[in-house]
Amino acid sequence: MELIVKTEEDMLGLGKTLASVLKSGDVVCLHGVLGAGKTTLARGVARGKGYQQRVTSPTFTLMNIYPAQDPIYHFDFYRLGCGDLTDLGLEDYLEKDGICLIEWPEIGADSIPLEAMHIYIGLTDEDYDRERLVSIKATGESYCRKIKELEQIVDTGC
Amino acid sequence: MKETYILGIETSCDETAAAIVKNGREILSNVVQSQISLHQKFGGVVPEVASRKHIETIAAVVEEAFAKAGLAYRSIDAVAVTNRPGLIGALLVGLSFAKALAYALNKPIIAINHLHGHIYANFLENPEIEFPCVCLVVSGGHTSLVYMPSHQDYQLIGETRDDAAGEAFDKVARFLGLSYPGGPAVEKAAREGTPGVNKLPRIYLDREDFEFSFSGLKTAVMNQWRKLEKLGLADVNDMAAEFQQALVEVLAEKTIRAAQKYQVKTVLMAGGVAANSLLRSTLKEKAAEKQLKVVYPPLSLCTDNAAMIAGRAYIQYMNQDFASLELNAYPGLLSL
Repeated sequence: MELIVKTEEDMLGLGKTLASVLKSGDVVCLHGVLGAGKTTLARGVARGKGYQQRVTSPTFTLMNIYPAQDPIYHFDFYRLGCGDLTDLGLEDYLEKDGICLIEWPEIGADSIPLEAMHIYIGLTDEDYDRERLVSIKATGESYCRKIKELEQIVDTGC
Repeated sequence: MKETYILGIETSCDETAAAIVKNGREILSNVVQSQISLHQKFGGVVPEVASRKHIETIAAVVEEAFAKAGLAYRSIDAVAVTNRPGLIGALLVGLSFAKALAYALNKPIIAINHLHGHIYANFLENPEIEFPCVCLVVSGGHTSLVYMPSHQDYQLIGETRDDAAGEAFDKVARFLGLSYPGGPAVEKAAREGTPGVNKLPRIYLDREDFEFSFSGLKTAVMNQWRKLEKLGLADVNDMAAEFQQALVEVLAEKTIRAAQKYQVKTVLMAGGVAANSLLRSTLKEKAAEKQLKVVYPPLSLCTDNAAMIAGRAYIQYMNQDFASLELNAYPGLLSL
């Protein structure tokens, strides 16, 4: 599905709505250039799951853990730059007891499950001041169902 | 009084480091094996590479720390090790080594929070610092203001809501095509440029609290840069200068305000970004206007090292704050 997100506030709102269809074990990949709004969307998901504390960029730490209603594992592969993620212990978190949100997933593409939700956040005319074009895609039956659910409850702004 | 010798081990991120510090003050040895050249080609820290390099070098680094200090292994009083926060695989290398050594030597083990170590770096060369103080902790992973009534009481009074200052330096440097690590690269480019040619926001400067936000500043750089490029007016040095200026102004101003609000006389700095010379000079100027004293560690103790770990451990040693061999490593942040 495609939608237009006009403000940072709306991006948070999208995250909150997204949280309502996510449950433990789910994997969501967040694609987009630097500053597109990936961390903001992740913050929205955490808020939607009742977590009110800080949701900061995991670029340096590579992973933040938020003890929300469902635990949230917030990854960021930005600094990795090459394949092997074994030291992150990624397999201990993916499709386990919490929701995995992954920024810069293309860097660790080999480690990401085949079935997942992929969210692409794009700029309009390369202008950071303008609205974002968000495209939500899924692989696997259960994620496709989630997108159908989202289509019912999200204001696409289109 | 008996002298206390503590071995410190630090492997939370890029550096494999070991040091021996006497009585929490005197650095007898401070060995740092940096992996930066290895990471440069990837533009950042690669955890798998980092852990492997830690494993390869830790024994030699510790041995060198003893050799430089001229001490035998059994003459130390405790083994101190960073166990949080950091990259989990990297932390575990130092932790496992420290545990094995402590067990073999039958010495206590002391668990150190990396941030406490950075803050303590101020005290290694300035024993006369008077409490209470306020410390600005700025690095790749942190931007925090800490109020310190004593060594036992560190209170977080504000921190970043999104990106850390060092992270902003790294990301902007990469975006502008400068090298890694981003801090020194931006500083170098900024020296050739003029702040104010481009105008960037001073985010949260108008707020009375001690929160920071640098994600918006990063976005503003990228946005303006794209537009300037289209006009053929993009000058990397001018952009670097304005970016550095915007970031430093906010950090320095908020630190001074915190010092005034908490009525301290001394301001400390810690972390890799504390090596930035514009931040140092700006903070000094602003502090002088308010009759505040500014202390910062020497450059070699701003970046990750083990002397700060061994130094901080002395405080915990005096309080008999020892860990057991069950001690684990914790990657997470948000803990002071």
